[in-house]
Amino acid sequence: MDILFISKYIVLIALVIMMLAALRASAYKSTSMGLLGSSVVVTAFAVGLLVVGGQYNIQFYRDISLALMFFGFVGTIAFAVTLGGEDK
Amino acid sequence: MIEYIQSALLLIAAFLMIVSAIGLLSLSKDTKHIVYARIHIVGLFDIACIIAMIGLGQYLLAGIYFILAPFTAHAIANAYWKKEDKEINVDLMTVEEEVDENHPFIHPKAKIQALESENSEKLKVDERFSVTTIEIDEGE
Repeated sequence: MDILFISKYIVLIALVIMMLAALRASAYKSTSMGLLGSSVVVTAFAVGLLVVGGQYNIQFYRDISLALMFFGFVGTIAFAVTLGGEDK
Repeated sequence: MIEYIQSALLLIAAFLMIVSAIGLLSLSKDTKHIVYARIHIVGLFDIACIIAMIGLGQYLLAGIYFILAPFTAHAIANAYWKKEDKEINVDLMTVEEEVDENHPFIHPKAKIQALESENSEKLKVDERFSVTTIEIDEGE
């Protein structure tokens, strides 16, 4: 079996493990931890899409991945600014 | 050859992801400043993702994420510091000062402030300084 193929699947498994860990961590009492966990899940999903899209030659997965990464970033920043409040 | 390099990068990324997942879960709830520690661990995961993207041949995405990831981490840490950390850890706001009074160079803050206030009162009384004003009449 191709070594690159195996590596891609190992990365996918690692991403799923990281997603579960982030979900567990986001259950911590502070709101910031929820924000951090959701940010990690979005990033992991985006990388997973890249892996699957590269493996099965699905071009639009890359665009979805880019959109997820960019809008995930914007959402995280916006929520963090709202959470932090204004400077005194 | 390129296939082997890609595989190596992907395996390194997978290893880093699993290490960061273990780190994220192994921190106990009672750890001091746990949110900052977890943000730090997520930084490792971000770098693992960038390595994976390079391994997959998506260099532009890797570059974009390399720039965006620190902003996210900083925004979350800043929000936590400004709002929740000040409410949860109230003792962070009080700083205990332990200064030896016999130290030749380091003096307690209260002592310096008292000296400064004395000086300022002396300066007010001091007659060496005087302020004069000149009145200018525009009609002349």
